[in-house]
Amino acid sequence: MGAPLAIEARGLHKTYGGLFGPRQRALEGLDLAVARGEAFGLIGPNGAGKTTFIKILLGIARPGSGQVRLLGGDPESVEVRRKVGYLPERLHLPQAWTPPAFLASVARLKGVETSPRALMDLLARVGLQDDAHRKIGGYSKGMRQRLGLAAALIGTPELLVLDEPTDGIDPLGRMEVRRLLLEELGRGATLFLNSHLLAETERVCGRVGILSAGRVLREGRLEDLCQSGSHYRVRFAPGFDAQALAAAGFLPGREAGAFRCEAETPERLNEALDRARRAGALVVEVAREEKDLEEVLQEAVRGAAPAGPREEAA
Amino acid sequence: MLAVAADLIREATKRKWFLGLAIAITAVLVTLGLSLRMDVVDGALAATRLFGKLSHGPIQAVDVALRPVFQAVAAVVFYGGSVFGIIACADFAPALLSPGRIEHLLALPVRRWQLLVGTFLGVLVLSLAAAVYGAGGMIVLLGVKTGLWTWRPMVAALLATACFSSIYAAMLAVALFARSASVSGGIGFLVFTSGIAAGNRHTILPMFEPGVGRTLFAGYTAIFPRISSLGSAALDIAANQPLEVRSLPSLLLGVLIFGAGVLSLGIWRFEQKDF
Repeated sequence: MGAPLAIEARGLHKTYGGLFGPRQRALEGLDLAVARGEAFGLIGPNGAGKTTFIKILLGIARPGSGQVRLLGGDPESVEVRRKVGYLPERLHLPQAWTPPAFLASVARLKGVETSPRALMDLLARVGLQDDAHRKIGGYSKGMRQRLGLAAALIGTPELLVLDEPTDGIDPLGRMEVRRLLLEELGRGATLFLNSHLLAETERVCGRVGILSAGRVLREGRLEDLCQSGSHYRVRFAPGFDAQALAAAGFLPGREAGAFRCEAETPERLNEALDRARRAGALVVEVAREEKDLEEVLQEAVRGAAPAGPREEAA
Repeated sequence: MLAVAADLIREATKRKWFLGLAIAITAVLVTLGLSLRMDVVDGALAATRLFGKLSHGPIQAVDVALRPVFQAVAAVVFYGGSVFGIIACADFAPALLSPGRIEHLLALPVRRWQLLVGTFLGVLVLSLAAAVYGAGGMIVLLGVKTGLWTWRPMVAALLATACFSSIYAAMLAVALFARSASVSGGIGFLVFTSGIAAGNRHTILPMFEPGVGRTLFAGYTAIFPRISSLGSAALDIAANQPLEVRSLPSLLLGVLIFGAGVLSLGIWRFEQKDF
């Protein structure tokens, strides 16, 4: 039996519009499973259906067909929602309120008992302790985002669904948010992250799904997705003969002293290394070359078969 | 649900409309309190001075002399309060449903109908508080100045709140179909004016030639609560006069049925809607 699932979606379809306007297919048979306690990142181009999927996941929108389970239950169940923390992409906050008043309101709606001290601690966790008594209307975009994150953390949720959590936050702030998310993972929470910042997703998530045109194109562990398969990165000790290495099948890499080598099998790789060593080169490092997430996304989206027109006549 | 209502009230207290209303009611009460002088001799109002200026009128029993005053207070609370409420509350439902806010609320452990009914209750409490503050203030003011204590204007204030609740239910429901403060306010005024026409239906109907027009008008006004009849009852109760309307309970029942009906429609739409 596999690990218990935090998120389970099967055959999700969603179409918007109708009646008089064109129909827009947002999801086309989406399947996805996220185990409890893992950090999962959903990436994809604009209009891929990421936000629609999150809305269906939380019962904010309903699927046309298919099934979705959240923490083993119905997404619309009050008991399930009590265990979920959510940060929407564009959180609307009450301008005239102070952050503690807003957080207290969220806590009341969540049915979580809290105290002014606990709320201040929460604000300190997201780095807002010095601005806690200012009105939210005077907050910058990044500060609002931090406050939204604090609201999502109320009640120590089992599942955190974060839609662009670091949007508008400065680089140092992003580091703080990343630390905070890793803390949440450390205590056993499941993290579902939707972010345009691929570096952010790479640093936090263990598994990634690539969504495009309403379908999951690729999905798996980050290291598996980023492996190039037949490409290796090899470093030699100073004093190598670059021409001899080129003849042995090693092409200069991006960094000084690093070379790239293409080998279909380990035997071929070792044959190439032997040729290099015979030419006097000393091997100091061999690693499978990894693509970054940007390249993986680009490959997946370009390689996807055309899904046909996504707009239908009403 | 009560938490939703409490949040709405908290939000309202930060709005200029409601701060303005509270200040205006207080200013009227304080001004009258300081400038109005009423001399009562043996239960009769002998003289009234406003800003030191003597108001000439027949010497009458205090309760009789104050009838027009209480009627005026009831009219201001009933009709003025409804108009003010329509304008000031038109934005509540569209704000609740605004992108970024509704998604956040729907992801919380609150049922959709609770959000809607909570918003309705919040507005109901606000309108009740404003009506009771205005009417209660006048009761205390005139009670202190004349020794006549009556609960009747308070009943008129409650009827005004009942009337506004049916109007606001329609405003709330329509926001689920078109998220716009203008549309919500427009529907509020439509119900308000149609309700006034419905209360005067028997007077207006003979103005139509018998036929389709008259039938359409009769059918249209049958949908709405009879607001002007309820207003007339509120004024009569405030002035301790016999009711002109035949049955106050049937009027209240009409308001209740209309309000519950449109609110149910709103809840049905909310339950179906994707955000």
